[in-house]
Amino acid sequence: MSAPFYWRDKIIRYRLVASKCKSCGTIHFPPKKICKKCRSKDMEEVELPRSGKLLTFSIVRYPPEEFVEYAPYAVGVVELENGVRVLAQITDADVEELRTGIEVEMVVRKIKDLGERDIIVYGYKFRPALKRSSSS
Amino acid sequence: MELDLNREIGIIGYGAYIPLYRIKDEEIGRVWGRRAGFPVEEKAVAGLDEDVVTMAIEASLNALKRAQINPKELGAVLVGTESKPYAVKPSGTIVAEAIGATPATLSADYEFACKAGTEALQTCIALVKSGMCKYALAIGGDTAQGRPSDELEYTAASGAAAYIVGPKDEALATFEASFSYVTDTPDFWRRQVQPYPKHTGRFTGEPAYFKHIISAAKMLFEKYSFSPEDFDYAVFHQPNLKFPIRVAKKLGFPMEKIKPGLVVGSIGNTYAGSSLIGLAATLDVAKPGQRILVVSFGSGAGSDAFSLVVEEAIEVKRDRAPGVVDYIERKRYVDYATYARFRGKILR
Amino acid sequence: MVHIIGYGCTPVKEHWDKGIRELAFEAALKALEKAGIDKVDALVVGNMSSGVLAGQEHLGALIADELGMSGISALKVEAACASGGAAVHSAYAMVKSGAYKRVLVVGVEKMTDKLTPQVTSALAMAEDQRFTVSPTGVSFVALNALLHRLYMERYGVKPEEVAAFAVNDHKHAVNSPHAQYRNEITVEQVMKSPMVADPIHLLESSPIGDGAAAVVLSSEPEGDSSVEIAASVAATDVFCLFSREDMLSLRATVLAAKKAYEQAKISPEDVDVLEVHDAFSILGAIALEDLGFAERGQGAKMAYEGETLIGGKLPTNTFGGLKARGHPVGATGVYQIVELCMQLSNEAGKNQVPDANVGLAQNVGGVGGTVVIHVLRGV
Repeated sequence: MSAPFYWRDKIIRYRLVASKCKSCGTIHFPPKKICKKCRSKDMEEVELPRSGKLLTFSIVRYPPEEFVEYAPYAVGVVELENGVRVLAQITDADVEELRTGIEVEMVVRKIKDLGERDIIVYGYKFRPALKRSSSS
Repeated sequence: MELDLNREIGIIGYGAYIPLYRIKDEEIGRVWGRRAGFPVEEKAVAGLDEDVVTMAIEASLNALKRAQINPKELGAVLVGTESKPYAVKPSGTIVAEAIGATPATLSADYEFACKAGTEALQTCIALVKSGMCKYALAIGGDTAQGRPSDELEYTAASGAAAYIVGPKDEALATFEASFSYVTDTPDFWRRQVQPYPKHTGRFTGEPAYFKHIISAAKMLFEKYSFSPEDFDYAVFHQPNLKFPIRVAKKLGFPMEKIKPGLVVGSIGNTYAGSSLIGLAATLDVAKPGQRILVVSFGSGAGSDAFSLVVEEAIEVKRDRAPGVVDYIERKRYVDYATYARFRGKILR
Repeated sequence: MVHIIGYGCTPVKEHWDKGIRELAFEAALKALEKAGIDKVDALVVGNMSSGVLAGQEHLGALIADELGMSGISALKVEAACASGGAAVHSAYAMVKSGAYKRVLVVGVEKMTDKLTPQVTSALAMAEDQRFTVSPTGVSFVALNALLHRLYMERYGVKPEEVAAFAVNDHKHAVNSPHAQYRNEITVEQVMKSPMVADPIHLLESSPIGDGAAAVVLSSEPEGDSSVEIAASVAATDVFCLFSREDMLSLRATVLAAKKAYEQAKISPEDVDVLEVHDAFSILGAIALEDLGFAERGQGAKMAYEGETLIGGKLPTNTFGGLKARGHPVGATGVYQIVELCMQLSNEAGKNQVPDANVGLAQNVGGVGGTVVIHVLRGV
């Protein structure tokens, strides 16, 4: 894929943008131009919540070409706070220690590096939620 | 350059980011046959999917959480780093887009070795003071590369911090003064296509680090009649544990004043992130009314010195985002092979 | 009525000496010879990845030329791994409408010329490039693995129970002349095999292989023909698996099956022999549920308890299914039809299901983006 191809979806990848039907409120991710519930074409952009639960995951050990240098890595379905589901890589976690049901949060990371002379693609991934100590 | 700021402008939000992974200096020493005298305990290592852009984004989002402003009101997004992912294409535009600041914003990448972050901060102060921007965001960060087996490999680390500059009525800390001191001093440099920098060993000490930090600090003290007693905290650039402790002593600061900001022992030298992460760690504990001195150092060489006073708003704003300690305590150790893989030192 | 008057296929394997056109030629010739004809009015080619793996598109005209039939109508149909079924469905509509009398369908896939990461990338093209593959690096196996894990956790099913589908496939493949793997395997062997994408093991994932299968459809029962197409239905589902209401049901299977049962005027109990698209053992389990043969969460158990073996309640994948017969992706849907024809024509040899009269084939594209179902009846 090319620089323009990735550029086209950058806002969706950087800020987890979905489309919301102005008529019935249904949220669509990936964003759609027509509501799957009420068929209205009156849609607006909304940013999704950035926290959720890990519903299911797998560990990719035989990746597609552009991801070979990152294997093994985990991908999972995250159910966000508002019920919308997202498929994303799970990062900052030991793949062998992942469990379903954990709290995860969105971060922006390198998705792939297209090569020494090409662009770097950034986008959303999810990581186990950062613990906060009570004093800070 | 010197600037009398009179607390009209301040920091309205700040944030830091430190990667998950750590490698112990002992482990690096194991590979290269060194048993003792390590400059730090362990250092932070960026993961496979991290770089200055990703760290800058998280640090900036933390700063925005504390500032509680609409990111579109940011008039500038300036990234200071010496490990830019692209030689030509500003990291700043990617960060700006990711945090929602675009399109009406100034963006550029700054380079001045380890003081690129405070340099970006100087510019943000000027942009806000001149009225060009209502809010301006400065980020300092690096995924520093150490040449395998070199002295600097034991400290070259990854991390970033971000500061949003704005008007005093929203500030959690205000600027009293800002000072900048530079000379042409070749203590450490990296030529265009070289992967690793070169340094001059002991020459990086007295004629570089110490001269510039001490000169900048002393000139700040002289102009505003400050003495170390006037400050509750001091944060210096931290290339290792010894240097900031020694410079504090030379300037007359006792250990307890530099301790909260002294993070290098746990995370290593985050280069353009170093003094800014130290400042964030200090703001994480400072109380309203306390005064903080920050003096950065960048090879090449120069220092930026700031005097800040903590405001009431810190009590409300501080807990809106993770603190430096939260990131320091979140850690997983890797061995040298994994570290080499993460940092791209293995030829494939 | 649309009749199947000829069928044939190549063995599924790494055909180092054959490319797309050689494979297609071999299968087509077998089907034409069986039909006792040498001319057709149209050709439909089912294939998924010739462009990316061989740099070759425009397969309709190419293969028509190879067959010495330049001049006829020839088209390529693509629906990811349902390309074969989709090609049969297109040909069915072409004959049923009266537009054409005889249509040759060839499903062909050449996968082994490239390395695994390239093939993985090619297979991932069945999924949403912009919002599934590109931002996550998920492989096609990993997508199915998401379902596998969710299924086990939701229904309290053990990995061994899901693996049964693969074990049963191999048992049938022992007497399947064109199967890629003809060895029996055990559940323990599956469990011990390396993980491809946790929790899916190597021995419960369909292999990469080359092959071609062909059928000839006609508006008349020509020659020895003894099989009719009683139903041919295609359906789609919400494209992204994670956007579906229930990730553990392929709605396209449910929709297509309902229509197919109506078209063929049958209900699930009437099916004597079944072909399901078990690219991964989990899909086999879910297929049994979506097709109405098992309750939700019971599909894996049904296979584990042997009900889907020849001699059991519902003989399934009697020539080895996707795991053991193999899965040259665009050709699979046509292999399923060929295998049902063998059963319904009493030509299944040692794997013959006695009195097999009604067969059902389910062919899936992607993780259920498209499902094509055929019901065949022996006459």
